[in-house]
Amino acid sequence: MIKTIFLITTVSLLSACSITKDSEPAVVEDRSSVTQESIITLDESSFESQSIVGASASLSSAERVAVTELKNTGTNFILYFSYDGFDIDESATAQIIKHANFMRDNSSVNLRLEGHADERGTREYNLALGENRALSVKEVLGLYDLSSRVEVISFGEEKPIAQSHDEAGWKKNRRVEFIYQ
Amino acid sequence: MKFTKLLALFLTLYIGTANAILEVTVLKRIENAFPIVIAPFDVAGDVKKGKVIADIMRDNFNRSGEFSASSAENVINKVDFDHWQEKKAEAIVFGKIEKVSKKVFNVWIHLVDVYSKQELYAEKITVHDSGIRRIAHYLSDRIYFALLGEKGSFYTRLSYITVVNKDKGKREYRLEISHSDAQNPQTILTSGSPILSPSWSPDQEKIAYVSFENGRSEVFIRYPFVRRKTQKLPYFDGIASAPSWHPNGESLLLTLSKDGNKDIYSYHFKNDKLTRLTKDTAIDTEASYSPDGKRIVFTSNRSGQVQIYIKDLSSNKINRATFEGRYNAKAVFSPDGKTLAMVHRVDKDYRIALLDIKSRDLTIMTENQLDESPFFSPNGGMIIFATNRGDRGVLSVVSLLGRETFELASKEGEVREPNWSHYSR
Repeated sequence: MIKTIFLITTVSLLSACSITKDSEPAVVEDRSSVTQESIITLDESSFESQSIVGASASLSSAERVAVTELKNTGTNFILYFSYDGFDIDESATAQIIKHANFMRDNSSVNLRLEGHADERGTREYNLALGENRALSVKEVLGLYDLSSRVEVISFGEEKPIAQSHDEAGWKKNRRVEFIYQ
Repeated sequence: MKFTKLLALFLTLYIGTANAILEVTVLKRIENAFPIVIAPFDVAGDVKKGKVIADIMRDNFNRSGEFSASSAENVINKVDFDHWQEKKAEAIVFGKIEKVSKKVFNVWIHLVDVYSKQELYAEKITVHDSGIRRIAHYLSDRIYFALLGEKGSFYTRLSYITVVNKDKGKREYRLEISHSDAQNPQTILTSGSPILSPSWSPDQEKIAYVSFENGRSEVFIRYPFVRRKTQKLPYFDGIASAPSWHPNGESLLLTLSKDGNKDIYSYHFKNDKLTRLTKDTAIDTEASYSPDGKRIVFTSNRSGQVQIYIKDLSSNKINRATFEGRYNAKAVFSPDGKTLAMVHRVDKDYRIALLDIKSRDLTIMTENQLDESPFFSPNGGMIIFATNRGDRGVLSVVSLLGRETFELASKEGEVREPNWSHYSR
């Protein structure tokens, strides 16, 4: 009960102090239909493999089951962002809190946050932007003292999910992926 | 006019990799370009070799955007000035090649002005078989200088990244170098992970680049002419990227996010020392030096928008350089230090623009949708950049006269991230 109250407080606190720029805030895509099959093991050698979101090869089978359960409860493993934006809005915060609770309940897992950008603009700027997106997510997790278990990396525009050169593709590529390891 | 070079690839002494040669497409010629005739050389013995020199030189001058180079029907030994005045040629290049031994040649070259009837330049060079192409570029620079009083950019190299799609959605990234005309390509590095931002050292012996081969962005130094030699910079937390050399070659500008905060640092090779050059909570990246090493230009979103800033390294003052447009990024100084080339957003398009630093006049040089990575030729006469043609990444070169002059494409995949070397040794 105490825990629940704490969470609600944090949500309102975060949304109150989130800086709103002229860009639209982070959008959370509904991926509640994601099933167990879509959790694909990350194979370090296949850099370009798609949908590596979720669990890396280093997890134990019990941890893997736990990650799968988290997915099945409708938790998003990808957060999406606006053009040149890295702000976290209320619904994104709610998703991050689900991950924070999961990490508290599963103290052996660590999280890698991978930040990405769309292809527009320069590659080096996008590399920095991708890191800012992942750091925004880490900042929320930091409120739960989870920082030491969270690793942030950025791939900039180098690992797009969608290949199309239009807004439909770009909005899928401006993202942070959650990978438990 | 489209022509694909079918010349046998010259395999270097150092790296015996056969490479995919880029396809060169000349886009436009300028109407009032300088008309020059480069006659086939008079070759004693091996006809093919001599033809190559004149052909390379003609292609060089046509690609420069400033010349219209044509051939003559026959070799020239003595110039018929009346004939060439009638043909409206303004300068004639001719020469001869003699075999000294099986693989060594003597090359004589002459440049004459058709109207003054003066010889502007003449030289005799002894060249080894393997150096024929390089000599053609060297001679092109000499003729360019004799005619315009400015250095050419032919005897130089390019570096670029090619990306080839492989089976099962995998990609292969290659760091490649070539001559200024995209010939003689050599693969310096092949990786399954992205390679970014290759940058030639001023002495041309090293290329700094960013690789994700260890799962995150790190900066490495590769020695393209020393087989397998790679140097890794010390480990930095977070992002390490955007390498760019000091003009003296002794240090490297980097973007590091050691504490999550992306700032510009200079890394000194001699003592492994890092000097922090910017300190701001915003993103600071894509830094490069002015030619005299006294200023750096970089990209920052400190105003809330992505814009270009210049830091004076003696006063430590940082001034915003761009005020036109909501997105300006990845600026580089021109060789004379007066102009910046950069990526400039126009509505929804990203184009290459030139900024006169003093007057703040901005000139948009291209008409594409997704231009990136502009870089000046060493004489400042051209800018090479990456863009998209259809779904494919290609390199394009625009003359400062405001025309896109030629394009470099790979049949196998994408080409991106061009960087132009200084003059060859």
